[in-house]
Amino acid sequence: MAEVRLEGVSKYFGRFKALDGISFTVSPGEIFTLLGPSGCGKTTTLRVIAGFEIPEEGRVYIDGVDVTFKKPYERNTAMVFQNYALWPHMTVFDNIAYGLKVRGYSREEIRRRVNWALELLGLKGLENRYPLQLSGGQQQRVALARAIVVEPKVLLFDEPLSNLDAKLRVRVREEIVSLQRKLRITTIYVTHDQEEAMSISDRIAVMDRGRIIQVGTPWEIYSNPANLFVATFMGRSNVLEGVVVSRESDNLYVVDVRGLRIYGVSRDKLEKGDKVKVVIRNEDAELLEEDRRSPNVLEGRVVRTSLIGFAIQVRLLLDNGETINVYLKNKTSISEEERLRVYVSPEDVKVYKALETVEE
Amino acid sequence: MISQATRRITGFLAYQLDPPLVVLLLFSLTMFSAVLVVPLMVLLLRPAMSISLDVVRGLLSYPYVAWPPLGEWIIFVDRGDHTLIIVRFKDMGIILNTIMIAFSVTVIATIVGVLVALVTARYEFPGRSLLRIMALVPLLYTPFVNAFVAYKIFGDNGLLYHALLKLGMGYTIEVTYIAGVIVAQAMMFWPIVYLNTLAALLQIDPSLEEQAENMGARGFRLFRTVTLPLSLPGIAAGSGLVFIFSMEDLAAPIAFKVDRVVSREIVKAIVGSRDVAFLSIEVIVLAGLLLITALLWLTVVKQYVSLRQYAMVVRGGRWKPRVAKPGPLMYAIIYLVVFPIVIFSMLPQLGVIVYAFSESWVHVLPSGFTLDHFRELVRDPSVVNGLRNSLVYSTTATILIIIISTTIAYVASRVRFAGVGALDLLATSPLAIPGLSIALGLVILYSLGPFKDSLVDPFRNPAVLITLAYAIRKGPFTTRAVYAGLQQVHQALEEAGMNLGASRSRVLFTIVLPLIGLNVMAGAIVSFVYCMTEVSTSIVLGALNPEQAPVTYVIYEYVTAGYGGGAFIHLAAAIVTMTMALQILAITISNYILRFRYAFLGV
Repeated sequence: MAEVRLEGVSKYFGRFKALDGISFTVSPGEIFTLLGPSGCGKTTTLRVIAGFEIPEEGRVYIDGVDVTFKKPYERNTAMVFQNYALWPHMTVFDNIAYGLKVRGYSREEIRRRVNWALELLGLKGLENRYPLQLSGGQQQRVALARAIVVEPKVLLFDEPLSNLDAKLRVRVREEIVSLQRKLRITTIYVTHDQEEAMSISDRIAVMDRGRIIQVGTPWEIYSNPANLFVATFMGRSNVLEGVVVSRESDNLYVVDVRGLRIYGVSRDKLEKGDKVKVVIRNEDAELLEEDRRSPNVLEGRVVRTSLIGFAIQVRLLLDNGETINVYLKNKTSISEEERLRVYVSPEDVKVYKALETVEE
Repeated sequence: MISQATRRITGFLAYQLDPPLVVLLLFSLTMFSAVLVVPLMVLLLRPAMSISLDVVRGLLSYPYVAWPPLGEWIIFVDRGDHTLIIVRFKDMGIILNTIMIAFSVTVIATIVGVLVALVTARYEFPGRSLLRIMALVPLLYTPFVNAFVAYKIFGDNGLLYHALLKLGMGYTIEVTYIAGVIVAQAMMFWPIVYLNTLAALLQIDPSLEEQAENMGARGFRLFRTVTLPLSLPGIAAGSGLVFIFSMEDLAAPIAFKVDRVVSREIVKAIVGSRDVAFLSIEVIVLAGLLLITALLWLTVVKQYVSLRQYAMVVRGGRWKPRVAKPGPLMYAIIYLVVFPIVIFSMLPQLGVIVYAFSESWVHVLPSGFTLDHFRELVRDPSVVNGLRNSLVYSTTATILIIIISTTIAYVASRVRFAGVGALDLLATSPLAIPGLSIALGLVILYSLGPFKDSLVDPFRNPAVLITLAYAIRKGPFTTRAVYAGLQQVHQALEEAGMNLGASRSRVLFTIVLPLIGLNVMAGAIVSFVYCMTEVSTSIVLGALNPEQAPVTYVIYEYVTAGYGGGAFIHLAAAIVTMTMALQILAITISNYILRFRYAFLGV
């Protein structure tokens, strides 16, 4: 089990700064996910760790050893590529055996280890097939077998599920997690899918424009997003503009949103009169049946409903003119034009200072 | 901190290139420098050292420039029952003749090439596939003999003359001298414009034209506003190439007895010389002018002739091209204009075959079928010697090509650092740089100073330089095929190998080469065949020691000797017919492998 540490890593592509002073530490044996929209630098970070890119600034340590200038083949990482990168001219067996051959293992030892990997991933019987004769899920498992069979210090996953269909994706990600739990190899996982990230990770680093915005457990990130970007990136949410009216307690504020008073919490220190953004997750609103007058009750007219499976998404035109989307679970029939009242708990309302310019 | 920065750069480079790859790259670059860059620089710089006002004045007067032009444009000869019209054009001196011929040929070739490309790319009509194949026939390389056949067709006392005489319309035509060179070269070279334009047309996203139609543009307006601008790069690439090829061509001027053009002047200067001192400064300047024209063209179209662009064309077939049913007017153009032009252009190649299999072709029609000329080939010592030399040079050159081209293509497609763009240009440029300039540069460089009397001194031993020149000049065919193959091998396949502990060279041999082996082979076959038919350096360097000259030099000698239809021309035709068969075979194989029908186009 190895620790992976990045210190102040920056990477330029021409004049474009792809990574901007990235630092984080991945603890031995954990699944650490780099999460962010496309172009945020997550794959570049992974490639820096694998050694395919050499950063202009900063250092990379694996197991306490500075590997910044080590070549990819001197690092003992193993990567599962987005498109699997299985060699089409080699059989499943030869694909998996490649790393072992490079390491100079004996013939019997190679056979023994490849068989172990085939068994572990349920690929027995497919060893003489060529990659193109396999299904997407099988190819994905061969790529995984090829990576773990060399007993790498670090496993790297680059959006490994993006080429699978939705159902298979959920199954394979469970398999990856249980395999990792069994082998306890330090794992760094790249994805843009926040649900995938939350379901498999021990910890998540949210990235945006070449920087790490927040590192934490899935729960920390979901329940306490560090800024507006993280808050809106995790899940579906409504962003409303408002002005701080008063500070109620330590981090609880009252915000005026076009005449509507909303209580919400903030990580920022806010003053009366500050312009703010108020974030309300779609799933955090609940339907109020009784006629209760209390803060954080939003009342309006249903503009549109659409069924999304586990709930109904309702678009509500509030009386103050704002429109919000909410997921309502307990009511099966909501008709358009109907008037509704929903309640959002103050802890679920996140308030962020509105910034005129991009930070710094 | 400085050592930090250095380490980052060296670390980056060390990742990109490991030692075996560095060795291969250095070897390739050394070859390019020794056979292309340095000789060409010498060619350009040498006159600069000794040029004088007298030389410039000389180059602006006869025989280099003849103003006013000499002779007649057209001569009418009254022969009682009929009038003979001799189209010949005036002699304007070596330099102006060359430019005028190249310009006229380029204009004609561009018009014909674009027309045929448009018709075959955008219309569906009976005989379209046949037309596409026939359009490639003039590109079959038949050194010298095809031009000779062209002369036989419409030159002095030619088939055209006799045909019109038979029709009894009261007049008949001979196209000779400079006019003949223009017609013959236009016939030979228009398919180059055709292929480049066709490639460009097939690359245009149909939705771009559909969008324009959707907005109301039709017919010629659609062509003028959308299709033409989008295919202009391809047309420009093809036309420029025709200009350069025309200036460099020796065959048509020899066949039509035009002495005063740059290419013949250069060869004339070399063939008689025993020492480099015999080369006049004027000749070197002429070869330099050829080179400068080619370089100018390369800088203008460089992004359209790059490896990258070629790889895009090879991938091709990404969408279903737009084809329409022709209207009545278009049908008329297709069957009354396009087909006759294409068939007419095939005549020289067909004539070569006729010469090869006929006993004699002195009069209007050939007589007597025979295989004797082919039997004679294995008996004639100079032919046997020439063929053996060509095989040795071409095989050696092909081995060098495989090493150099694979290295260059791999580095150009995989390694990222400043200068890779220049490498791309360097790798493709030999296709467009006149071989006569390269040959002359080699002669000058390697007969001087430390090289004098060494193994590479062309006056002692031209074999080495011929082989190296083949490798550089015909390498681009392989480089492009390999590069196209590499574009289809996803980089992640290599990264996966390195990630599992294999060095870059190991990845190259265990993963990359097995995947692109067929591309290397396809390219090497084409390169080999074009080495066998190489003309410019073969003649210039071969002339320095006929014992070591390749077969193309032998053909050159036979054609010049066999003037007037002697047995020598039949022998030359037999050799060329065999090389033509070889080309068809090589192109078929490589097209089958690359699934691409333009694998052999010039650029």
